[in-house]
Amino acid sequence: MLRMLVLRELQTQYSRFRFGYLWTLLEPLGLSVILWLVFSVLLGPRKLGLQPYLLFLSVAMLPWWWFTKGINASVRSFRRNVAQLRISTLPTQFWVLRILMVSTVEFLMSIPVIVIAVLLTRDIPGPLIIFYPVAILAQFLFMYGIALALASWNVVAPDVARLVRLGMRGLFYLSPILYSVSNIPERVRPLAALNPLVGILGLYRIGWWPQEIEDTLHYGLSLGVGALTFAFGWIVFRRLESRVLKES
Amino acid sequence: MARFSITKDLEAMVEFEGVGIRMPRARQRKVPSKLRRFAGEAAPEQVWRLRDITLSVQPGQAVAILGRRNSGREALLRLAAGTLIPDEGRVRRQAKIVPMIDVAAAMARNMTVRQNIYVIGGLLGLTPKTMGELIPKIAQLAGLQGQLERSLAPLSNRQINRLAWSIGVLTGERAFAIDKTHIGEDPDFAATVKERMTQMRADGVTFIVSADTPEVFLDDWDRAIVLEGGSILADTSLAEATVLFDSLGGPDDDERDDDMRIEESFEERDDLSEDELWEEPDDETRPRKKPAE
Repeated sequence: MLRMLVLRELQTQYSRFRFGYLWTLLEPLGLSVILWLVFSVLLGPRKLGLQPYLLFLSVAMLPWWWFTKGINASVRSFRRNVAQLRISTLPTQFWVLRILMVSTVEFLMSIPVIVIAVLLTRDIPGPLIIFYPVAILAQFLFMYGIALALASWNVVAPDVARLVRLGMRGLFYLSPILYSVSNIPERVRPLAALNPLVGILGLYRIGWWPQEIEDTLHYGLSLGVGALTFAFGWIVFRRLESRVLKES
Repeated sequence: MARFSITKDLEAMVEFEGVGIRMPRARQRKVPSKLRRFAGEAAPEQVWRLRDITLSVQPGQAVAILGRRNSGREALLRLAAGTLIPDEGRVRRQAKIVPMIDVAAAMARNMTVRQNIYVIGGLLGLTPKTMGELIPKIAQLAGLQGQLERSLAPLSNRQINRLAWSIGVLTGERAFAIDKTHIGEDPDFAATVKERMTQMRADGVTFIVSADTPEVFLDDWDRAIVLEGGSILADTSLAEATVLFDSLGGPDDDERDDDMRIEESFEERDDLSEDELWEEPDDETRPRKKPAE
């Protein structure tokens, strides 16, 4: 049933655009190219991030795009489906999971681009690339936790959706997307490690840039916070589930 | 999983023990939503919709629920089906109870009849496997043979309500909680409904139906419950209950089913651009809901 709902959603989303699937690729990649132009070409080579910078950016940009798209969409998943919730004998969290799955499928479909880029530029990653799927799994769970909490809160207070958009902008700059963890001043690093995306994005990157791993402790901390977030989201949802149903 | 728990060894089909639920107070729909939000009404106050409800419905019974607006009819049915979680007490059920409550509102106009059967059937608990053989039967019962690939948009509200009802009854479950089917407004379909439900009743299916005129669904009812202000006023025969209900003023004067208009619900507003998101279309596009219940 979940699979069917996800497929249907993808279908409606893509049927109305001429380039369909291409858009999922063009948006994050276009953004990567723009940022690369700004930070690498226009401002000249500097100590931001690691080389090759365009690949460095893209490897984090695609997961980031998944993150922001998925969260922004799922925040409204309960409010949008009130009529369905009222008659649904499916578990309540399916509505969040459904939107999340849609963005996950889109992300998975964008991975071939990285593969092609790697083959063309011969920036073949090392054995640590085995952490790439781990990163995907960690990000999915982290997102699921956040989405459950936010979607439930959004039912109680519809202003949450707006706050989330603002929060996303902030998180973009607070996460190592444009820059590498090594760019963060030493004494702020423990603080930065409280952001689960630091660990997750790091796992995506260490296949290419093993030096990103030098701080295992911080990565561990970061991923730990991610796991806690998942648990927290689940608890929030469980506590608010009754409210969510009442509003439907 | 508090919601759909099933207690297999329960004797009754569904049993309420001291059940109470608070619901958001009915909203006045006359004031535009922006204005209401500005006035700080974003989170409506919670009021007790049902309190201290203890009752049980035996397998095979047909129970009519009578009540005026805000009496808690819909909440009672949704609690029975498990699409609401009680704040007090507990609800136990022996088997799955299909929530046939305003099913039409959950349909998407831009999808085809077949797709709607898939989605709605799935929500009501049909598995994709059984769906295949059921689809033609559902279409036939709803009088929509040969129109499976048509979108819902050109269909009349009556046709959509027929489809909604047909999906529900053909789920093949043993118990149903029924409200807002709008069948009462469709005399041409009434015979089909009555015939099918009478036959199901003979087969031992349990019905809990909220309706102003229960005779539309069945001739023969085991009992009727009159709800008033969130508690059970009487639990008696349909004839006595009707007399009592009429003495209370009977059904609401204004048309009860003022949400006949089925607005396109999900799948429709999915690709909002960022700017549209800022506009928070939630409230306006939300399927219009009757105040209360």
